[in-house]
Amino acid sequence: MTATTTGPAPAGPATTVVEPLYITAAGVVSSAGIGLGPLADGLLGLTESQEGPVGEDAEAYPPRPVRAVRGLDVKEHLGRKGTKYLDRLTSFGLISTKEVLRDTEVDGARTGVVMATNTGSVSTHSTLLYDTLTLDKPYLVNPGRFPNTVMNSAAGQIAIRNGLRGLNATVAGGQTASLLAFRHARLALGLRRADRLVVGGAEELSAPAAWGWHRTGVLRDGAALGEGAAVFTVQRERPAEGPLAELLACETRFTPDPRGYTDGLADAVTRALLRSGVSPDEVDVVSLGAVHQRGLERLEERGVRAALGGGLPRTVRIADVLGETFSASGAMQLAALLALWQAEPAAPPVTALVTSVGWDGQAAAMVVRSPR
Amino acid sequence: MAEPGLSVAGAPEMRRVVITGLGAVSPVGIGADVFAAAVRAGTVGTKPITSFDASAFPRRNAGEVLDFEPADHLKRLDPGSWGRSGLLAAAAARLAVADAGIDEGQLELARAGAIMGTTSGESAVIQELAEQWVADGLHTIDGRLAGQTPASRIANAVSTELRLSGETQTIPTACSASNYALGYAYDLVRSGEAEVMLAGGADAVNRLTHAGFYALGAMAEDVPRPFAADRTGIVTGEGGAVLVLETYEHAVGRGARIYAEVLGYAANCDASHMVHPDNTSIAACIRAAHEAAGVRPEQIDYICAHGTGTPTNDATEVAAAREVFGERIPPISSIKSMLGHTMGAASGFGAIACCKALEQDFLPPTANITEPDPELGEGVDPVAGVGRAARLDIVQNHGFAFGGNNVITILGRVS
Repeated sequence: MTATTTGPAPAGPATTVVEPLYITAAGVVSSAGIGLGPLADGLLGLTESQEGPVGEDAEAYPPRPVRAVRGLDVKEHLGRKGTKYLDRLTSFGLISTKEVLRDTEVDGARTGVVMATNTGSVSTHSTLLYDTLTLDKPYLVNPGRFPNTVMNSAAGQIAIRNGLRGLNATVAGGQTASLLAFRHARLALGLRRADRLVVGGAEELSAPAAWGWHRTGVLRDGAALGEGAAVFTVQRERPAEGPLAELLACETRFTPDPRGYTDGLADAVTRALLRSGVSPDEVDVVSLGAVHQRGLERLEERGVRAALGGGLPRTVRIADVLGETFSASGAMQLAALLALWQAEPAAPPVTALVTSVGWDGQAAAMVVRSPR
Repeated sequence: MAEPGLSVAGAPEMRRVVITGLGAVSPVGIGADVFAAAVRAGTVGTKPITSFDASAFPRRNAGEVLDFEPADHLKRLDPGSWGRSGLLAAAAARLAVADAGIDEGQLELARAGAIMGTTSGESAVIQELAEQWVADGLHTIDGRLAGQTPASRIANAVSTELRLSGETQTIPTACSASNYALGYAYDLVRSGEAEVMLAGGADAVNRLTHAGFYALGAMAEDVPRPFAADRTGIVTGEGGAVLVLETYEHAVGRGARIYAEVLGYAANCDASHMVHPDNTSIAACIRAAHEAAGVRPEQIDYICAHGTGTPTNDATEVAAAREVFGERIPPISSIKSMLGHTMGAASGFGAIACCKALEQDFLPPTANITEPDPELGEGVDPVAGVGRAARLDIVQNHGFAFGGNNVITILGRVS
């Protein structure tokens, strides 16, 4: 800690316990399959992931393991109408959202969307950018696809398909993006900006994205790339039929100095626990985010240990099963916990920590509890 | 049923939030005072594109920040390690913090963070990678550059430059992004999550955005002429726009100059079409913003329009205003006529223009208008040409985006 932070802690929300929010549904599209069931099977080692890229540019991928979403018939899930220009990322988001809203009567005016992203659909903007650099008439890019190059395209399409007219946010936060989206949603629901939010993250693979990852060199050798989406409905009201989980605090921290990244995460975890009214020894399981990323992986573990008093409880490492799903990883980390709780219902409520660290100094921690 | 967006009824007691610092890195000048003087004079900053080879395009103008040297403004960021959008944001943040007269120690104690909007993220970096791809194949792309592509690096650049440890989010809700960032930062401050926040946005002129708007048929033939009879569309632009938000008590406690109070905001989604705006939905957003701010339509003295200059968008925006304001639409102007459409920074520049208009008693103009469009109907005052002296008390700032994302902020004079 630097000298300027050792003064008296400012009073206010940093030390007050937040009201819990309720997760009422989860929709997942991952390389394990659709829904929480296949994800649980993957996590429990009951199924093996299939390796290798899919799609038209599959041949152009770098030599690296890939866990792609396979055999997804978008038209079967979403119908034929309006799917012509849908990119993979948006399709994943739409299918996941359809799952979470399946049994819900939606008040469109009071329901919104908060989606995490890295840069939106890489396949869409890289294809169009390639066209602008290679066409004789570079202005003849496909006008039907251009609107999909904006990073809020998935959130917009989710709103359009489901009539969700409430606030509509897209949050970029690199590796931590999904947790930042939950943080964003917490504040918006707390301030009554919506009654219910569809919150999650989506990532798609393509050869350009895969090469970007590969050339950046931040992934361990042999670490797989992944894709997919996980979205959840989050609301203030406790549902009569009981929630899938209680969402307690979600706290973030930025650390400008790389030497402080571990302390930054520890601080985010400590504050998240404090504001959840949960003591470090009550954490039963940690769902980790930076699995397979050089440098970040170890500092994430160190930061969590520091905040929990040295030990590390049971861990869930989503990237072992799904590969690196980057901005969607926080949502996948949460989905993994829900999947395991459904597959192996625990008698006492389980208190879980979801953590994420990213490059530049982003850190985030969220506390969730299994149904009572 | 409640309006889409936002009623805050039942929410806990909130603090007042004011704006005390402005940072503009714009096509009409760098620094809030330079920016304000240029805007008031109706200076047009769109010129032939220099940042990429536009010779194969039928339209070759953009609002670029031609005199931007990152090293002139930044103390910590290495310009070689960050993309242009992040550098524009960080430079604007430096200027905003200096304008607010707040030092780094105060920022840290106040748990300050940065919420930055964008449309295309680090588009200049991505463009360079695409050039490498086209030239020598995907396997040759520069890994160091690839690491600079995440959109999150725009807010991260600000927090790294200013050593902020508070909430740091980039909000890529396209062309309403700065207003969304402003709204979210306002919520963080008013609810007590932070005492001080930086909010705004940044984007860089780039080939894909230029091509895409042309392909959509939305590109102006020469200059943007929002609300003019002969308007033909947008001209793309770039820049960094940042505002310093803090609680009223914090500002007064340190003797800060206060430009404006954030009275409230609303965000909603058309949920109908990716590209075509919806006047009913925008009207609902305006009403919700008024409700959140606790103001009536007749109290609004000025609308800083989204005002892209496409025939459809301007007509839709005026129709929405008419639904709320009836026959008395406040003066409504578009600074995009001078800056070009700075995308994710646009409503940040709008907010800065609003703050300066409140401080210096003028209505920002819409440049390039010779004849206002009669089809927009009676009573539309686009403040044609140059700024006009006027005392303003409450103003509203519009931001609309692809995806149907509407965000409206309401700013008021603090007496």
